[in-house]
Amino acid sequence: MERVLLKNIENPESADINEYKKAGGYKGLPKALGMQPREIIDEVKKAGLRGRGGAGFPVAMKWTFASADPKFPKYLLCNADEGEPGTFKDRPILEKNPHILIEGMAISGYALGAEYGYVYLRGEYPGAKDVLNRAIAQAYEQGFLGDNIGGKGVRFHLAVHQGAGAYICGEETALIESLEGDKGQPRIKPPFPVNVGVFSKPTVVNNVETLSNLPYLIEIGGEAYSKIGSPDCPGPKIYCVSGHVERPGVYELPMGTSLKDIIYDHCGGMKAGRKLKAVIPGGISTPVLPPDKIDCPMDFVNMPKHGSMLGSGAVIVMDESVCLVKVCFRALKFFEHESCGKCTPCREGTGWLRKILGRIEHGEGVDGDIELLLSVAGNILGKTFCPLGDGAASVVQNFIKHFRPEFEEHIRAGKCMVNG
Amino acid sequence: MITVTINGKEIKLEKAVTVLEAARSAGIKIPTLCWHEQLEKYGGCRLCLVEVEKMPRLQTACTLMVADGMIIRTETDTIAEVRRGVLEFLLINHPLDCPYCDKAGECELQDLVEKYGLTKGRFREQKRKVPEALEDPVLVRNMERCIVCTRCVRMCEGVQGASAISVINRGGHSHIEPFSGGRFDCEYCGNCVSVCPVGAIMSRLHRHSYRPWQLGSETKTVCPYCGVGCTVVVQVRDDIIKRVVPKLGTVVNNGLLCSRGRFGYEFVGNKERLTTPLIRKNGLLEPSTWEEAIRLIASRLSEIKDKHGSNAIAGIASPRCTNEDNYVFQKFMRVAVGTNNIDSTARTGFAGAQGFIENIFGQGATGNIISGLANSDAVFVIGGDPTTINPILGLQIRACSRRGGNILTVGHMKGLRYYTPLELRPSVNTEIALLEGIVSALMKKKGPPGSHPVLEARLKDLNAQEADLPRICGIQGKDFSRFIDTLAEAATPSFVIGKDMIQSKGGSYGLFLVSAINYIVNGRIYLLSERANEQGLLDMGCAPDLFPGYRPITYPEFRKRYENAWKTGLPDKPGLTIFEMMEAAKAGALKCIYVMGENPVFNLPHTKDVEAGLKNLSFLVVQDIFLTETAKMADVVLPALSWAEKDGTFTNMERRIQLVKKAVHREGMEDWKILSEISSNMGVRMNYSDAEEIFGEICRVSPLHRDLNYEEIEKGDAIYPYKGEPLRGSTDEIHIEKSAGREERGKLYLRVERPLFHSGTLSRKAPALVNICPEAVARISPATAAALSLKDGDIVRASSKTGALELPVAVDEAIDDSAVMLSNNFQGKGAFSLMEYEIDPVTKAPCLDSNQIILEKVNR
Amino acid sequence: MFRETAIKEIEAIREQYPTARAALLPAIYVAQREFGWLSPEAYESVSSVLGVPRATVRGVATFYAMYKHRPMGRHLVQLCTNVSCMILGAEKLVDFLKNRYGLEAGGMSSDGRFSLVIMECIGACGTAPAMLVNNDFYENLTEKYIEEILEKYR
Repeated sequence: MERVLLKNIENPESADINEYKKAGGYKGLPKALGMQPREIIDEVKKAGLRGRGGAGFPVAMKWTFASADPKFPKYLLCNADEGEPGTFKDRPILEKNPHILIEGMAISGYALGAEYGYVYLRGEYPGAKDVLNRAIAQAYEQGFLGDNIGGKGVRFHLAVHQGAGAYICGEETALIESLEGDKGQPRIKPPFPVNVGVFSKPTVVNNVETLSNLPYLIEIGGEAYSKIGSPDCPGPKIYCVSGHVERPGVYELPMGTSLKDIIYDHCGGMKAGRKLKAVIPGGISTPVLPPDKIDCPMDFVNMPKHGSMLGSGAVIVMDESVCLVKVCFRALKFFEHESCGKCTPCREGTGWLRKILGRIEHGEGVDGDIELLLSVAGNILGKTFCPLGDGAASVVQNFIKHFRPEFEEHIRAGKCMVNG
Repeated sequence: MITVTINGKEIKLEKAVTVLEAARSAGIKIPTLCWHEQLEKYGGCRLCLVEVEKMPRLQTACTLMVADGMIIRTETDTIAEVRRGVLEFLLINHPLDCPYCDKAGECELQDLVEKYGLTKGRFREQKRKVPEALEDPVLVRNMERCIVCTRCVRMCEGVQGASAISVINRGGHSHIEPFSGGRFDCEYCGNCVSVCPVGAIMSRLHRHSYRPWQLGSETKTVCPYCGVGCTVVVQVRDDIIKRVVPKLGTVVNNGLLCSRGRFGYEFVGNKERLTTPLIRKNGLLEPSTWEEAIRLIASRLSEIKDKHGSNAIAGIASPRCTNEDNYVFQKFMRVAVGTNNIDSTARTGFAGAQGFIENIFGQGATGNIISGLANSDAVFVIGGDPTTINPILGLQIRACSRRGGNILTVGHMKGLRYYTPLELRPSVNTEIALLEGIVSALMKKKGPPGSHPVLEARLKDLNAQEADLPRICGIQGKDFSRFIDTLAEAATPSFVIGKDMIQSKGGSYGLFLVSAINYIVNGRIYLLSERANEQGLLDMGCAPDLFPGYRPITYPEFRKRYENAWKTGLPDKPGLTIFEMMEAAKAGALKCIYVMGENPVFNLPHTKDVEAGLKNLSFLVVQDIFLTETAKMADVVLPALSWAEKDGTFTNMERRIQLVKKAVHREGMEDWKILSEISSNMGVRMNYSDAEEIFGEICRVSPLHRDLNYEEIEKGDAIYPYKGEPLRGSTDEIHIEKSAGREERGKLYLRVERPLFHSGTLSRKAPALVNICPEAVARISPATAAALSLKDGDIVRASSKTGALELPVAVDEAIDDSAVMLSNNFQGKGAFSLMEYEIDPVTKAPCLDSNQIILEKVNR
Repeated sequence: MFRETAIKEIEAIREQYPTARAALLPAIYVAQREFGWLSPEAYESVSSVLGVPRATVRGVATFYAMYKHRPMGRHLVQLCTNVSCMILGAEKLVDFLKNRYGLEAGGMSSDGRFSLVIMECIGACGTAPAMLVNNDFYENLTEKYIEEILEKYR
């Protein structure tokens, strides 16, 4: 498949507006401006575009709600708070192909009737901030942003808002709180952001990759777009692969490419021919899979059928040198660190899980610890304010589900069998 | 109509509410911790999770809105299990120090754990250790007990609006801290203490001194401090006040209090309280008996009356005493002594301003409902920061802003600085010009309403120089236009007037202009009141020109009415105001002053003059709870009972009459009782058996109080006009004296600071308030500090024509460059000792804004 | 208090938003840069420029991991140890930084040259292990490579 989102990124000047245009950029926007907003939303619907942030929510549905709300002004927020461990799919767009995002946002803004947009960029991407700001300035200069886009009186203003290190801000209501200058803690829903979002106005929050699909989608039309990849959730998808493969990195492939193919075909297989032990297929919050469960299409519809989730498409491949108790412990350390503290089970439970796992990992586990882990995880799952706590609980549950003997061995032997 | 089923019970609801509210309405209790009726919904604690049919996950009852046909279960085995799980999470880091914790017995966490039965701990790890924070004089923080429900923070930010505390860090490291990390340095309302469900933020005042279940009594009464009249519940053990708390659902303050109300009660049990009458013998005040003291006073008063006439005697009543005390006081002065020389410190502003405004708009014009401020679409504030003078009223203004209303201030109001005020800050000496400009601009914009020809006639000769305002007042033209536009567009504006406006040169003219603005935009006026019963005292006739019921004595038909009621002839000429009393005393015309519950030496400006007047008297009686500066000069001092020790009523600034109830027993007599004993000794029998009987008489003679009784008051909402129509309309005469201050630019002028933590004599006998704010400071602007090379804490000598003080300075960005702010709260360091005054010819209030002051650094 | 230029900068940022409050996160970044860390004075300065209560400023700032609440070294080393980096040896690099430079997680080297912060994922998983020094990414780290990199930061 021809690359769409990561087109031209080998070009060292790819972030420049003229290079972007040379490579065929800023074609979707003029076409979109020739359409009625409603027609754009229809094309997106026809295309079957789903949000690439992790939940896979149908984009057209979100847009329809927001555009139907009479409150004004409306806001379009780009979620560039890519914080899910293992995920680095948005970074190449932000750093190397910023104009595809800007073009996508201008199209979306027009479709929604949103006149203001912000890119909520994670604090850990300082380089991307400079690139984006330069690109936005260029887009203003050339009339792709501003008060009179394409000479058609269309108004869309865009600015970058830098986060400051909080995974939870990837959750859209937490992102909104953070943009408003508050702690990034999720809000009560309803009301949903499409009705009462940032600054209490109708707001659409879409992921970087999602928005970057728009120029191409509009250019080729929804019908043609829907033919790419999985029929249930079509389009190009960026998979980012890390860990013990020969060629880790970002791969833009049709949605639904099999996990096995990604690892063994695109990434050149296991590093140094070592044996695969486990794969986390969609970022650390998604259920870990053992080697015999990786023959599955990587999309929003099929992954749940195979016991995991597509998540952000961040594949972490682990060979036999890895102690999975330690990975689980490290993951919980992450969740504990990132828990926002708003709700009890997540605030207290993630730390408790981490402490128990730490004991096991350090050879101080006792009989009953595995049952305790499962019980505590059970007390978190489904009881938290937002999905962060669920993620933490399900990591523990799935690691134990697939690799229980390794946990038992740690407790029995009082040490790690892999790393000694 | 929405129908939902909760635990099999069908509930019909008029409008969509939360599942929690729906359940409560049907008497079904769902456990909560982070939810609180005064606070914004949060959904964090997860205790209220319930099962809702057709919803995949458990739902929080406090956030989920009901929908028609919803079927909800709140107590199932699954839910009990979930709640046990949540409680276990809350306990893993909890110190379980209930035997030592003051909250035990009223701790919501303790009660829930007891209900859901957690017995065995599974947490093997190290608990979070955080030492108790004891840096603050009034509030203790114990973050090991904190469950991060954030009720305190939501209270502090969203209701109190002080934003003094916040959640620090995140996740498991979250805890509550004031900015400094130690001392709160906040408004000390203590409303965080009220809402804390556990023992994480508590008052230090009663620390480890009792258990909640050991309280002897709880008495619902009215706060003794300011004119807002908050309901307080006084909790007592062994006749010592342990705690003062607010009550949810009360009309005026609905579960909120300010620092004075909550932490200022310790004066009641202060060891310095007077216990026995004192009589001056050989120049010294010596303990005596009631019998001797009463006989002495009666005979001396009769003697002076016989020798110099009734008008050689004057009385000063008390805005801290009850209506019953004040009623008996004026009756004693009028009937037993035979004089109208009755006044009070209400004369320093409130009395004259109210009279002036009522004269324009009719009686009751200033008696507006405090909570109405929050519903106004604009609030215009002038002459003082309501958030410190009348804090609970100030909260209503903050609430107004939060609801989208506009706050318009003339001058800088520090307590409103985060409420996006449209602020006009006229330079020295130009407030009147600005007000004239506002009137004129509004007249152009809105035109005369046409309903008050007398007032409109007075607007014709207005000398407004709108175009020149930026130059004259030093304000921005665009700010002025925005101010005018906002005011003109307001549909329900309110006006809040503080004493600084009344006590400025040209104050009555300023009041007229504000009244005119109010008239043009059809607003309502609130007059800030610093004392609990300032309104009541006036309504009781403790004024040289008023009978009870706020009736002018000059009307013969009113006088007749009271002569009939009291079965005696009454003096027909207005008596002396409190300032005239001091003049007359100095001149020798006045021989005796009887002071009830007031401290004129401290609470009137120009201390030296007051002292000279009082010294010149041949007989001074002071009836008080402490040996005040004034009492020290007296010939006889009588110990009175305090607010907590007697029954009666207070009338707040809304003219809401509320019951003051005895909470603590103490030997002694109520003020009214002392007065009736003296009166009887003078041959005018007063034979009241209790306060209620006096109130019965008040209701018979005062048309303001007609048909009222304690039982009615108890039911609530006893607000003037209690029954019937307003009693006095506007007059066709508005007296204006145009004048304005004459401050010179470049000089410093002394201004009275009215701090949140003090009120004068009472608050300085309340250790908690003294600990919060221990000493007098002179506040100056950064520019003044720079010009005089002063920094925070430097000691200065502040001198004026009338005296000098040494005290530290505090540099404060909120202070005008021409001003030095000094409170009148600390013994020997009061602003009034440095002030002279002129009397406003219309309101008879003192004008205090022309006092130049010089600061010199004292090198130690 | 801020220098005049910083106040101008914050006022310009504020123009990008409909409310002053929304400029809080960027203003805290400015304060961090101006004062080196978020001292009480830094908070007070932000509070006074944006009109946001100081306790609120502090509460918000302490929520986010990238704001610094104590004085920092001249250069900030932010090393990722999350799963993708960990399984490729990030923990050994933590030990290396400690042994070679005396850098503890969350601490500062004794010469004030570096501060070390252990990061959650920094989005360089495909080229793990990775770190940021100030605003620059360094990837595929080894001990030797770290030595070379840090040479550049004096």
